[in-house]
Amino acid sequence: MTDQPEARSKSWGRWFGRPGRSLTRRLIWLASAWIVLALMLTGWVLTSQYQESALRRLGDELRGTLDEVVIATIVTPDGLEVAEIKDARMLRGLSGKYWMVAEPLADGTVKVLARSPSLSGETLAIPVDLPSRLQTDPGGIITYSDPGILRPPLRQPLRIGASLKFMPDREAPLIFVAGIDRSMIEADARQFATYTWIALLILGLGLVIAVFLQVQIGLRPLFSLRNEIADVRKGKAARIVHSYPMEIQPLAEQVNRLLDHNQETVERQRTHVGNLAHALKTPLSVMLAEAGTQTGILPDMVRKQTEVMKAQVDHHLRRARAAARAQLLGERTPIAEVLDEMAVMLERVFEEKSVEIDWRAPDELGFRGERQDLQEILGNLMENACKWAKRRVRISAGPTGLGQMVVVVEDDGPGLPADQRDAALERGARLDETTPGSGLGLSIVVELTRAYGGSITLADSDLGGLKVLLELPAAEA
Amino acid sequence: MRVLLVEDDVDLSRQLKLALGDAGYAVDHAADGEEAHFLGDTEPYDVVVLDLGLPKIDGVSVLERWRRDGKTTPVLILTARGAWSDKVSGFDAGADDYLTKPFHTEELLARLRALLRRSAGIASATLSCGGLRLDPRAARATVNGEPLRLTSLEYRLLHYVMMHQGRVISRTELVEHLYDQDFDRDSNTIEVFVGRLRKKIGADRIETVRGLGYRLTPLSGETEAA
Repeated sequence: MTDQPEARSKSWGRWFGRPGRSLTRRLIWLASAWIVLALMLTGWVLTSQYQESALRRLGDELRGTLDEVVIATIVTPDGLEVAEIKDARMLRGLSGKYWMVAEPLADGTVKVLARSPSLSGETLAIPVDLPSRLQTDPGGIITYSDPGILRPPLRQPLRIGASLKFMPDREAPLIFVAGIDRSMIEADARQFATYTWIALLILGLGLVIAVFLQVQIGLRPLFSLRNEIADVRKGKAARIVHSYPMEIQPLAEQVNRLLDHNQETVERQRTHVGNLAHALKTPLSVMLAEAGTQTGILPDMVRKQTEVMKAQVDHHLRRARAAARAQLLGERTPIAEVLDEMAVMLERVFEEKSVEIDWRAPDELGFRGERQDLQEILGNLMENACKWAKRRVRISAGPTGLGQMVVVVEDDGPGLPADQRDAALERGARLDETTPGSGLGLSIVVELTRAYGGSITLADSDLGGLKVLLELPAAEA
Repeated sequence: MRVLLVEDDVDLSRQLKLALGDAGYAVDHAADGEEAHFLGDTEPYDVVVLDLGLPKIDGVSVLERWRRDGKTTPVLILTARGAWSDKVSGFDAGADDYLTKPFHTEELLARLRALLRRSAGIASATLSCGGLRLDPRAARATVNGEPLRLTSLEYRLLHYVMMHQGRVISRTELVEHLYDQDFDRDSNTIEVFVGRLRKKIGADRIETVRGLGYRLTPLSGETEAA
């Protein structure tokens, strides 16, 4: 129960956790951060530009309106008169387009002289400091936003433009003011901003997904290299064989070189130990033969000690091989080939007894390990079986799934009582109690099988003799 | 009985010469591969004891040369290299038995006796079919001069079809002639063995006659060897 959320958060964290050690995460985070930053900047520029250009268009319209009003204004001796402007929006009440003509007073306020019919008696707001600012630049236009006309339920925010002009035949300047409803334009800008941000959000998500896929696809060779290395470790392959993009091909080559080096080291070590051990064997033969021709305490002792030395040499030879084996990777040995060569050879060796070896194994079944080791294991077991068999030895091998296989070696000899089987295996595993020429000679088989993580069991065969069941690692074809 | 002892270690050769002499053999000794090859090629020995680690020419090569020259003298190899891979390569070269050093002299003598008994089997004519030859005396078969490595069942199968070459042999007939009374008489396994034999002698030599059985014929273009 408690595991599940944790597991989920782990896989979540795999992609979105702290961008520490994962290359994928680092690439995705960097790209995502950059994408978000760039898109936010884009959004800001787009919306502010849109708003600005909308205001500029309003400003142009205000300028046009002001011009019309100025042209329509006629100064009369008793004040002024504004000719009717033929624009429905300036005539209809609260239509959203207004003008006003005012006169600045000495106290800084203004006096409205004329206004558009559309104002319906309202006034366009003029900030207190506006007249003085206008006076510094006669003819110029100052535009500003204003909450505008608030006559519930009507709420009309305005954009207002004001200009101060000196008219002919009039000494005091006039302030011309025009106002346009800006709510439409603001709504437009808001809509534009909304659409822009939605579009950018979609774009951003799309880009992040694209980056994610790109990283996944881009890093795929790395994942397949990892799988290939795993195959080498599992013994399915001996080397990295596929070619990779130029960025990681050198890595694959280095792995291969490392494998070669490993193999060489192991071979060298094995050769050294082998040479030493084999060099000792002929002198041992001499001592054994010489002691065999005489009787007495000394020859007896020499014989006994020679046997011990022989056992030691064999033991350490095997130990060296076992140690070397643990480092070896990627070997695969077809079991049918080894069974065939052993059967051919042992039938010839045991020709006098006319032992018949009947073996069955699928052609495609492979042992995950070295040929020499499989030869040692099967050779010893089959030789034993031939030694004890009356006529028949039967061997069958087959996969058991899960990367394992089972090999059964049976004979029709006397067999081994159940209470002695454990002892036989134990004796096989330990050196000191092993005497040459006696027992089952299982020691090397037991040692090798264990070194490969396999198992060995003894049982009764329906042929009448002993049945040896071996479980060994299988290599997929 | 004449025996050729090939061993380069002085002490071991001396001991073995003595032991073999005591056992009633006439012993010739060679201390290197060249001498061994020469003696083995020129003198009619009954059995050879051959050490594999030799100066000049190694034991396996000597053995291969003898076999190439047609010598069928039984050979027991002595080797310090007790690994099965070494034994297998010895047998591939044509050895008949092996003994791993260090060994007991009695063991060697017993093995030699067995080898001599074996080689004194009843002689019979060599069978041939195209490039295939089978020597029932030595229980050896060759294809185009190359020795075949056969298990006893494969050998018996080949022997039977060679004795009845040209004729269609049914599976039941093969089962009856190949297996002892107490073997599993499963005719399906014949297919397995025919398959293995085909792999070793060439797939086209044993023809499957649908519904009837198998037939051994020389390959087209092969002339019957004399």
